[in-house]
Amino acid sequence: MSDLYKEHILDHYANPRNWGRLDSPDIAADADDPSCGDQVHLEIDLDSDGRVAQVAFEGEGCIISMASTSLFTEYIKGKTIAELEAISEEDVLRVLDAPVGSGRRRCALTPLRALQAGLRKYRRRAQGDD
Amino acid sequence: MLDVERIRRDFPILCRQVHGKPLVFLDSAASSQKPLQVLAAMEETYRQCYANVHRGVYTLSEEATCSYEEARDKVASFINARAREEIIFTRNTTESINLVAYTWGRTHIGPGDRILLTEMEHHSNIVPWQLLAQEKGAELVYLPITDEGFLDLDRLDDLLDERVKLVAFTMMSNVLGTIIPVKEIVEKAHQVGAIALVDGAQAVPHMPVDVQDLGCDFLAFSGHKMCGPTGIGVLYGREELLEEMPPFLGGGDMIRRVELDHSTWNDLPWKFEAGTPAIVEGIGLGAAVDYLTEIGMEAIAAHEQEVVAYAMERLSALPGLKIVGPPAEHRGGVIAFTFRNIHPHDLAHLLDLEGIAVRAGHHCAQPLHRRLGLVATTRASFYLYNTSEEADRLAEALEKVARIVGK
Ligand SMILES: Cc1ncc(COP(=O)(O)O)c(C=O)c1O
Repeated sequence: MSDLYKEHILDHYANPRNWGRLDSPDIAADADDPSCGDQVHLEIDLDSDGRVAQVAFEGEGCIISMASTSLFTEYIKGKTIAELEAISEEDVLRVLDAPVGSGRRRCALTPLRALQAGLRKYRRRAQGDD
Repeated sequence: MLDVERIRRDFPILCRQVHGKPLVFLDSAASSQKPLQVLAAMEETYRQCYANVHRGVYTLSEEATCSYEEARDKVASFINARAREEIIFTRNTTESINLVAYTWGRTHIGPGDRILLTEMEHHSNIVPWQLLAQEKGAELVYLPITDEGFLDLDRLDDLLDERVKLVAFTMMSNVLGTIIPVKEIVEKAHQVGAIALVDGAQAVPHMPVDVQDLGCDFLAFSGHKMCGPTGIGVLYGREELLEEMPPFLGGGDMIRRVELDHSTWNDLPWKFEAGTPAIVEGIGLGAAVDYLTEIGMEAIAAHEQEVVAYAMERLSALPGLKIVGPPAEHRGGVIAFTFRNIHPHDLAHLLDLEGIAVRAGHHCAQPLHRRLGLVATTRASFYLYNTSEEADRLAEALEKVARIVGK
């Protein structure tokens, strides 16, 4: 029926990777879109080198936003904060590897919005600690 | 009975293919397609007699003015207004409602006054009243809906008292499809001294509407949902109300005399039409009204009823498909539904790949979706050019979607 709903996308939707919650995450944030009801809660644990050690997410939404978030959680493992901050929209779409077009771009970028909200909170907290 | 085959030939876009499949256009509730007759009237104007309207003393301007003002007469008779002065051209339903909120509302609504809306309103019949209520310290009250998707009219008497100055409600829900007993509500509103504004965005394109019979004080609707172009809408208002209302936007055309520190207003309807209007769009709307009138609004309503009843039967036979709103005999050409756990955006997207255009989301009715316990629905809406075969195509495509993403 479509290139967009490819096997790997449907698989990540049906079997999301890194599903659940962490005990005391270093970074945690939500992305939601009231217009379509997509909702993602993303959590990240950093190791002593400041790299992503564990990731978890929970959420509800369309196939594209859920599959994109699932793929994203695999993609960010092992990255430093600086590397997380450098992730671009194009990176997320490359990881998703499906032709989202302009209509579904916002769905695909849901995990990036959650990450960026999490990083903002993380930075504010880090500055507050100084 | 409509000759749908002949009607379809009037809409060139319906011959289009989308993703290699014949287009099935099921989103007319958002905006309808346009027949050749409307396109021709607009093109003819641009080619033959386009000029700015009013005050022109040369031939082109006189001709353009004549066609534009003729469109107003057509609209007036289409909804059976008493006079052409009662037809104000706006951009769309939204602007028509805002016009009433800014002019009638600002002069008649004060602290402690109430505005009665319903739980099934489109955002355009909620937000203007919120802005007004915030400015004036007035209160919004909502008539609830029943679980079946009807207005809970038993609650109307409780909610209607002397504090209510305005009752504003849709004649047909753009999500549930429910057709509202307008006359009954208008009568009750008038009994407590309130005025009644009817949002006719979904009703005027699809069924006969007679403002004198309904008794409403204002009626708002959009040209683009009734085979006309975008950028032109209508506010019908009772002449006595329009006469005493202050103007909406200030500028050219709406004035009689401008001094340095004050001005006097033009006559109705121009008092509410500042600046160069949507001339060609107005003429296009006139052509759309001619087109619909010739086919007949009764016949259009009957046709939609038949197609919707058939579509509801087909769709509700699909496992996991839930339709929101009342049975077919109480609704217009709108079917909003959920299908298994498939997100409406995915559904609309997958249907598009089958050439089927439906809308997914909250359809500008978030409070209604919250009341239904849903974030979003998928909506198929039907118009005079849709057929039962297209309902079959929709049902078959949904079965295919279920096979692919059935989780
Ligand atoms: C019931 C209802 N009211 C108002 C509107 C707003 O119409 P417009 O966007 O043309 O102003 C719509 C259109 O979606 C509608 O369905």
